[in-house]
Amino acid sequence: MNSIRSSLVTMLIAAFSLVTFLAALNGYLSSMAEAERLMDTQLLHAGQLLLGFGQKEDSVVAVQYGGDEFAYQLWRGDRLIFRSSTAPEEPINDLVSGFRYSNFAGYRWRTLTQPGQGDSWYIVAERADLRHMLAENVVLESILPLLLWLPVSAILIWVLVGLGLRPLRDLSAQINLKRSDDLDAVHYDDPPAELVQLIDSTNSLLARLSAAFEREKHFAAHAAHELRTPLSVLKVHLHNLAGELPAGHSGLAHANAGVARMHHLVEQILDLNRTNPEIIKGNFRRLELHSLAQRVTAAAWPAFSRKQQDLSLNGEPVQMYGDEMMLEILLQNLLDNANKYTPEGGNIAVTVSLVEGKPRLVIEDSGPGVSPEDQALVFQRFYRASDHAASSQTGSGLGLAIVQHIVQLHNAEIHLGSSEILSGLAVTIDFEPGGSEAVQ
Amino acid sequence: MRILLVEDDASLAAGLQDALGREGFVVNHVACGQQALAAVRAETPDIMVLDLGLPDIDGLQLLAQVRQRDEHVPVMVLTARGGLDDKIAGLDSGADDYLAKPFDMMELAARLRVFERRLSSAVTSIIIIGEVELDTSAHSVQVAGEKIDLPRREYMLLKTLMESAGKVLTRESLENRLYSWGEEVASNALEVHIHHLRKKLPDNHIKTVRGIGYTVARK
Repeated sequence: MNSIRSSLVTMLIAAFSLVTFLAALNGYLSSMAEAERLMDTQLLHAGQLLLGFGQKEDSVVAVQYGGDEFAYQLWRGDRLIFRSSTAPEEPINDLVSGFRYSNFAGYRWRTLTQPGQGDSWYIVAERADLRHMLAENVVLESILPLLLWLPVSAILIWVLVGLGLRPLRDLSAQINLKRSDDLDAVHYDDPPAELVQLIDSTNSLLARLSAAFEREKHFAAHAAHELRTPLSVLKVHLHNLAGELPAGHSGLAHANAGVARMHHLVEQILDLNRTNPEIIKGNFRRLELHSLAQRVTAAAWPAFSRKQQDLSLNGEPVQMYGDEMMLEILLQNLLDNANKYTPEGGNIAVTVSLVEGKPRLVIEDSGPGVSPEDQALVFQRFYRASDHAASSQTGSGLGLAIVQHIVQLHNAEIHLGSSEILSGLAVTIDFEPGGSEAVQ
Repeated sequence: MRILLVEDDASLAAGLQDALGREGFVVNHVACGQQALAAVRAETPDIMVLDLGLPDIDGLQLLAQVRQRDEHVPVMVLTARGGLDDKIAGLDSGADDYLAKPFDMMELAARLRVFERRLSSAVTSIIIIGEVELDTSAHSVQVAGEKIDLPRREYMLLKTLMESAGKVLTRESLENRLYSWGEEVASNALEVHIHHLRKKLPDNHIKTVRGIGYTVARK
């Protein structure tokens, strides 16, 4: 991942190193030039000193001189009056005044040629390589520490950039900590100028998102609600038409079935919204699951009776914590499915029991069951079983999505499997244990 | 029976007028709360069928105002609000009955007839299922034309089951009908009553739905 801190540090260190090197190079070059000038001045002084000595001498004398890094010659006309032992007998240079370089005795020398009194000339020379080495040593001594301290400045830059980026880190940590459904504004006390814009934009985005989410949450419910009155209109007029048409008119039956389906769909959409764990918290109370199941199965019984199906309730009273209305909707939907997908004359069994301290609700049927491939899909909204046995059924495809909502709301677990007794589908729901302690 | 229908949706109102007219009710229709108040003031209807979603006054507010004036007029509320909380709010503000849209015309007519029966004291009501004939006004039961004697609780039990023919009644709801609050009930009392009833009635008149309750099938 690319980090602002790493790239800032890298760029700063690179820039800092480059500037340091350029400064060092510049320092090196100008220090070297300065050293050259200083040494040339020394050479000039040495030459003038030499001129004082050489005024009276007439013969060629080779003066022994201690070092081999220095040489000189004193000429009168084209006669060599004296020289150092390191100097040759020929003129070191053309007798033209000025600083120059020349080669003799196997080295390169820096020379100064100057005219004396009358026709005398002196030439002083200094070994160029030694001069250079000396100057370079002095100059490098002053530049090297700059380079050696570069790593220290890198560490400092790393730490300082980290400090500078702290407000950004704090802000991102705060945003990171927000729950997915928390669309409240981000708060940052006394934000740096650079972050003000970011915080403002983030907050305005969150506000718009929250408003859109709020509308979205209630849109389906409002729409479904609005459909109730036109549906009533349809039902009433169809009822009146039935009085005028001959009994058993097939078009009317289809129209009635269509209205019934639409009614069912509207109610399912409302239930889907009413049970959405993102919207509601649930009205949790202590309740007894078996008697709740008894009420719901009793209310659902006529539909089973019409298909000559045998609906039975087994088990024992089990105390649990839950939302009564939601649990009723849950069982109603599961019973609806069982009723729909189980053939005429089939069996449906509801069982309430306590397994390992957890209330368990099982709805089994002798229908075709749900294939393992379909088991994960059935909880999707509007999903309808694809096999032919089921496709003759009309449903909203929302039933199990509603069931899923209610299961989530209760922190329960739902499992689809095959019924061992009835060989059809077995839906098992394990609730959280608890007759006394609160869920959530 | 004169019904005051308070409904702002013209098409629904026309349909209801038509349907209720066929059922033998006299229907007066008004489309808003103000007209409804005026109509109630002019002549109290036998029953008011009130849609809660009105253009001018909130239905529940109108209900409260009608109640202030006349406590006795029965009010049947129709509403597109279907939640349980709305239902409770409606009944709390004095509605006598409540139907969520979209309702079944038969259901509405049946419930209106319940009000009609309550209004007229001398109504005989006979429920006949198979060979069993139950007269709720005379408190008598005939099986295949022969009168049988039933103790009070057995009669109540049979009446309850036959009134809800086609539905399953749970043990709990039957016990609630048969016994008053706090009355000591033996755990098998209901089974004993059912057992005795069955001996006096044709086979299979009362069916057991395992684990759930009892039912009398609608023939």
